[in-house]
Amino acid sequence: MIELRNVGLKYGDKEILKNVSLTVRDNTIKAILGPSGVGKSTILKLMLGLIKPNKGQVIVDGTDITNMKEASLYSIRRKMGMVFQGNALFDSLTISQNLGFFLRENMKLPEEEIERRVEEQIQFAGLEGYEDQLPESLSGGMRRRVAIGRALIFKPHMILFDEPTAGLDPVSSKKILSLISSLRHNNNLGAVIVTHIIDDVFNVADCVAVLYQGEIIFDDVTEKLHNAQHPFIRSILSDKILEL
Amino acid sequence: MLLTFVRNREKAIALWLKDFILTMQEFFLFSVRTFISFPKVKRYWRDVLDQATICGTDSIPIVLVSAISIGSLLAIEVGNLLEDFGAKTMLGRSTSLSVIRELGPLLMGLMLSARFGSRNGAELGAMQISEQIDALRAFGTDPVAKLVMPRLVAALIMFLPLTALSDYAGLQSAAYMAEHYHRLDPGIFWNAVYPRLAPKDFVVGFLKAPVFAIIITLVSSFNGFSARGGTAGVGRSTIKGIVVSSGLVLIANFYVSKIVLENM
Ligand SMILES: Nc1ncnc2c1ncn2[C@@H]1O[C@H](COP(=O)(O)OP(=O)(O)O)[C@@H](O)[C@H]1O
Ligand SMILES: [Mg+2]
Repeated sequence: MIELRNVGLKYGDKEILKNVSLTVRDNTIKAILGPSGVGKSTILKLMLGLIKPNKGQVIVDGTDITNMKEASLYSIRRKMGMVFQGNALFDSLTISQNLGFFLRENMKLPEEEIERRVEEQIQFAGLEGYEDQLPESLSGGMRRRVAIGRALIFKPHMILFDEPTAGLDPVSSKKILSLISSLRHNNNLGAVIVTHIIDDVFNVADCVAVLYQGEIIFDDVTEKLHNAQHPFIRSILSDKILEL
Repeated sequence: MLLTFVRNREKAIALWLKDFILTMQEFFLFSVRTFISFPKVKRYWRDVLDQATICGTDSIPIVLVSAISIGSLLAIEVGNLLEDFGAKTMLGRSTSLSVIRELGPLLMGLMLSARFGSRNGAELGAMQISEQIDALRAFGTDPVAKLVMPRLVAALIMFLPLTALSDYAGLQSAAYMAEHYHRLDPGIFWNAVYPRLAPKDFVVGFLKAPVFAIIITLVSSFNGFSARGGTAGVGRSTIKGIVVSSGLVLIANFYVSKIVLENM
């Protein structure tokens, strides 16, 4: 479980998050919906302890990580997998090497076990035949699937997606969304999906929080989003995509 | 009018100063983190080897070119000067001192700052803006230990043989020019080189190698890690890294010489 309690964050003089409280439970898929530049990626980075809030607390599985030292954060982070907005694959490594990279780095597993897990992710993500290619030679949708595989290979119990369908064509988007839905049934995994595309929310999320001007203006199960009264939510329900 | 101008100026300077001090503090912490990750060198040995190839082997041509040109130029110019005083037999001594103590290491430092420093700045900057550095942290790997420490270890190891190579090539080309341009007997040239060189001359030259390695690697890597704002941001931070590390190389060159020559 991940909790943000009254979190505020500034970049320089710019206040990005004013007072954000959020809970992400295990075994559920939670979406955070908001326009570009509102601070969605920032929230994910806070959850991983990559950046520190100016006020409030970040709590992961009951541990307050707000002021934790980088060295102690590493073990907390390994419980979570992160899929970055631009994938953040290592461009000098092949697909298999990218998938196995952090297992080799941070887990003392025997090499056969690592290879078995890499093979498993290759199959799950439908990347057979691309094992020895570099990320640059893959399509956007495939690269996203590699990034998802790299996060899943750890067997985390929470996975964070930063705009999983942004920049993908409709077919690839659908593939990614069904991949994400399948996680819920297979792996007993919780997920946070940050997005500015409302269809993503209705497709995969159990519950959704809407972030607008530094504050959470809605936080409930997805079905109730239709009945929300806030003018911003009304306008996005009619427009579908948030281009602000 | 003038008053508001002065006030704004003051504010701008105060802001700049605050920024500068914060950056210095970050740079200091970054350097400390690099040095305390040295115990992980065994784990990242492969990265050290890769970097050693990049900053060592691949830098040989540029180091040779700069050493040969500085050696030949010195021999020609100093030879002309000494000829006026009828002291051409001293040519070996004066060129070897300049090459080994000052110009050899300095030019090599500037060349490596351009070559190794720009590569570090651009590579790490690109990794920063494409979130690869965040990805390392997010999955539990210390990016400083994985990316910066191996670069520093490689530079510390490789800059020494590069300095030796640079000295050798510089002296050989000076000797060549002495013989073919100034018609000086090689025996006379080398006689004025070897017996006169003191240990401190080598200490000055070779102490500069690790000092430059630390300056160039840390400054360029720090700037790469601080890259923000897309492709243009990588360009800006790379340039900043080269300018700052070249400046610091010039300053360090002066102080290492001063301190060692005064104390030995
Ligand atoms: N390191 C940073 N320094 C300064 N401003 C930043 C930084 N990172 C993000 N921002 C700014 O914070 C705001 C929120 O960024 P982000 O969380 O990436 O938004 P989103 O993911 O919702 O599009 C943006 O306006 C962005 O320009
Ligand atoms: Mg974002």
